[in-house]
Amino acid sequence: MQIETTRFGKIEIEENKIIFFTSGILGFPEAKRYVLIPHRQNSPFFWLQAVDVPELAFVVVDPRLFFPDYAPKLPPEVLKELHLKEGDELCFLSIVTIPKEKPEEMTVNLLGPVVVNITRRLAKQVVLDAKRYPLRAPLKPHFYRLAQQAEKENASLALK
Amino acid sequence: MLVLTRKIGESITIGPDIKIVVLEIKGRQVKLGIEAPAHVPVHRLEVFQKIQEENIRAAAAPTILDEVLKLDGEE
Repeated sequence: MQIETTRFGKIEIEENKIIFFTSGILGFPEAKRYVLIPHRQNSPFFWLQAVDVPELAFVVVDPRLFFPDYAPKLPPEVLKELHLKEGDELCFLSIVTIPKEKPEEMTVNLLGPVVVNITRRLAKQVVLDAKRYPLRAPLKPHFYRLAQQAEKENASLALK
Repeated sequence: MLVLTRKIGESITIGPDIKIVVLEIKGRQVKLGIEAPAHVPVHRLEVFQKIQEENIRAAAAPTILDEVLKLDGEE
């Protein structure tokens, strides 16, 4: 199907690639369907583009590429909401904030990750413990290590 | 706003399946116990608001990211 987007114009998406948010991203309850668009080939950055709201898109990364130890425990009600069954594959997407004036100071939101049940293409933004996970973790210091890693194995998301 | 006065151990209910009980009062802090169905998210308001504000900032990402997102060592 074809969708309208402000950033990328009209784009063709596969309907079975749509990710359905059981509850919308906080602040954007009206947008429930998204697609992931790779920023560039082999880039760890993806756009999470709303299917029904042309101007709404977020830059996201797999936080584990930058923070390998990131493995927050999810409350059972989250797993239930995502219809997680044995054998389903889960992944995290973290939203990147890129300040307009100082893009190099970009940060990633580890406090409110998007959790995706890849198998069923269901997702939701989860609120974690503010004492343990930062809202704005700087991303730039991790670029170098990631670039090295990307050379070894083609770093990319399982969700493509 | 509806205002209710409660003592320790007393509760209020909201709708048929949400219950909030005052567990402890210590100085200026109140400890609340909340029983709600799994589909009703319960959060500290300030954390919820912070994430919401951050999402709004993030949604303003510039379209042209090539320069911004260039990884060190990548050409």
